[in-house]
Amino acid sequence: MSKVVLQTPLQKEDVAKLKVGEIVYINGVIFTMRDLAHLRLLQKLAKNEEPPENFFGAVIFHAGPVAKKQDSNWVTSVIGPTTSMRMEPFSETILGKLGVKCLVGKGGMGKKTQEALIKYCGVYLLSPPGCAVIQAKSLQKILRVHWLDLGMPEALWVIQAENWGPLTVAMDAYGNNIFEEVKNRALNKIKQIYGETYCSV
Amino acid sequence: MLCITEDFLEGIAWELIKKSCTQLPEDVMVLLKDFQNKESNPSAKELLETMIKNAELAAIEGKPICQSPGYPVLYITSGSDFIIDADIQKVFAKAIIKATKEGYIRPSIVHPITRVNPGDSSGKGIPDIEMELRPDSSKLNLVISFKGCGCELANKLQVLTPAQIGENGVGIKRFVLEATVNAGGIPCPPVAVGVGIGGQTHYAAKLSRKVISIQKWTDRNPDGEIAQLENELLQQINKLGIGPAGIGGDTTALTVKVGMVSTHTAICPVAVNFHCWVGRRCGLTIESDKSYKFIF
Repeated sequence: MSKVVLQTPLQKEDVAKLKVGEIVYINGVIFTMRDLAHLRLLQKLAKNEEPPENFFGAVIFHAGPVAKKQDSNWVTSVIGPTTSMRMEPFSETILGKLGVKCLVGKGGMGKKTQEALIKYCGVYLLSPPGCAVIQAKSLQKILRVHWLDLGMPEALWVIQAENWGPLTVAMDAYGNNIFEEVKNRALNKIKQIYGETYCSV
Repeated sequence: MLCITEDFLEGIAWELIKKSCTQLPEDVMVLLKDFQNKESNPSAKELLETMIKNAELAAIEGKPICQSPGYPVLYITSGSDFIIDADIQKVFAKAIIKATKEGYIRPSIVHPITRVNPGDSSGKGIPDIEMELRPDSSKLNLVISFKGCGCELANKLQVLTPAQIGENGVGIKRFVLEATVNAGGIPCPPVAVGVGIGGQTHYAAKLSRKVISIQKWTDRNPDGEIAQLENELLQQINKLGIGPAGIGGDTTALTVKVGMVSTHTAICPVAVNFHCWVGRRCGLTIESDKSYKFIF
C-alpha cells in the first residue's frame, strides 16, 4: 500500500493524485469543525461576513477534541473523528465557495459530497474511529480556537498537525467511494440470501 | 438488609465512571484481538490493530479511549435485600460533572433544541436511569454505560406485521442485516448489535440498548432459542464484508445480543441498536454485606 505525505494548505495537484485505498499522512495547520461551526460559518457567508480563517486548500477534520488549558494555552488531550454524514448538506459551500480541499472524518459521506469532490477536486479521508489517544499525539498543538461559545466539541479549533495518520483515502476526486462499494456489495449479498421478499428498512 | 447511602454510592459512582471512560472492558478486548487474528483483509487487520493499540494506550495513560463520551445510562438491578437511601441520579450526575472537569469526559450534553452546552455534562435527565427489581436475587448490580452517539444515527425501529415476520423470523433477520448494511461505517464498526424484539416500540427500543450494555459481549445467552438467533445473525452479518470503519473486511460485528419479550397479536416491534467498538461500560455487584466486585 502506498503512503503519501501531504503539507497544508493543499494544492490541486496534491489531491488529484490521490486514489481510494491509499494511505495519507498530513503536516501543517488543520481545522476541526462539526455541525454548529458549519452552520455558523454558512450564516456568516450568507451575510457576506469574512470567515475567521482562510480555508483555501484547507483540511477540515470532522471532530471535536477534549482540550485542556495549560497555563494560557490550549492543548489536545484526545481527539478523533465524528460522523461525517451530518456535514453532508455543507459540502458544496465548503468545497466550492471556500476552497477546502480535504475532509477527514468517519463513516463516509453522500452523493452531494461526492459531486463536490469531483467538481472542485477534493478528497475525503477516513480517520481511525475511536482512536483518540493515538491521534492526539500528532494533533497536540492547538494554535487558536474560535466560537468557544458553541461548546468545546462544536468550536472551530485550529491545530498544528505533525505527521497525522494513517488516514485512508475513502472518496477521491474521480467518483470512487469505498463506503458505497462495500455497501452495494453487502446489499447484493442480502438479496442473494433472501430474494425480494420481506424488504426493507 | 443493606442500606445504600449517598456516601457509599459517591465512591462507587466515581470509580465506575473513571474506569469506563479509560479502560476498555476485558471481554471487548478479547473479542477485538480474536477478530484481529482471524481478519483476512490487510487494511481491516491494520485498523483493528490501531484500535487495540489505542485502547491499551488509553488505559496506560489514564485518558479517554475516544474523544466522544457518548451518553450515560445507569442500569440498576436490585434484589430485595437493599434499601436505596440516596438520590441516585444526583450522585451520578455529580460524578459525571467531576469527570468532565478532570478531562475524562468531553462536555457534550446539550439542550435538544437550542443546542446550548452547559459545559459540564449536566442536564435534565442525565444520566438516564433504568431500574429493574429482582426479588429472587440477593445482589444489587450497577452498570454505567456511555454508548457513543454516532452509532445512534444508524439505529432502526420498525413495527412489523405478522406477515412481515415471515417463516422462522426471516423478516426480522433481514431487517437486522439491512440496518447493519445501511449503517455502514457510521456506528464505528466492529459493532455490537443489540436487537429488541416484541413488547411495544418503547419496550423493544429499551431492550435493544440494554442487551449490549449490561452483559459481557462474550456472554452466551442461557436461552437456547435466543442464543441460536444471536449466533446466526452474527455469522450472517460478518459475511456482509462491511468491515472495521466500514471500508471492507470480515469483522463487522463483535457480537449480537437479542432481548425478546412477548408482544400483542397484531404487531412485532423490532429495534436495532448499534454500539461502536468502544464498549465503554463498567459494572459491579454489591452483596448484602456491602462488599462489592467489578463484573466488567
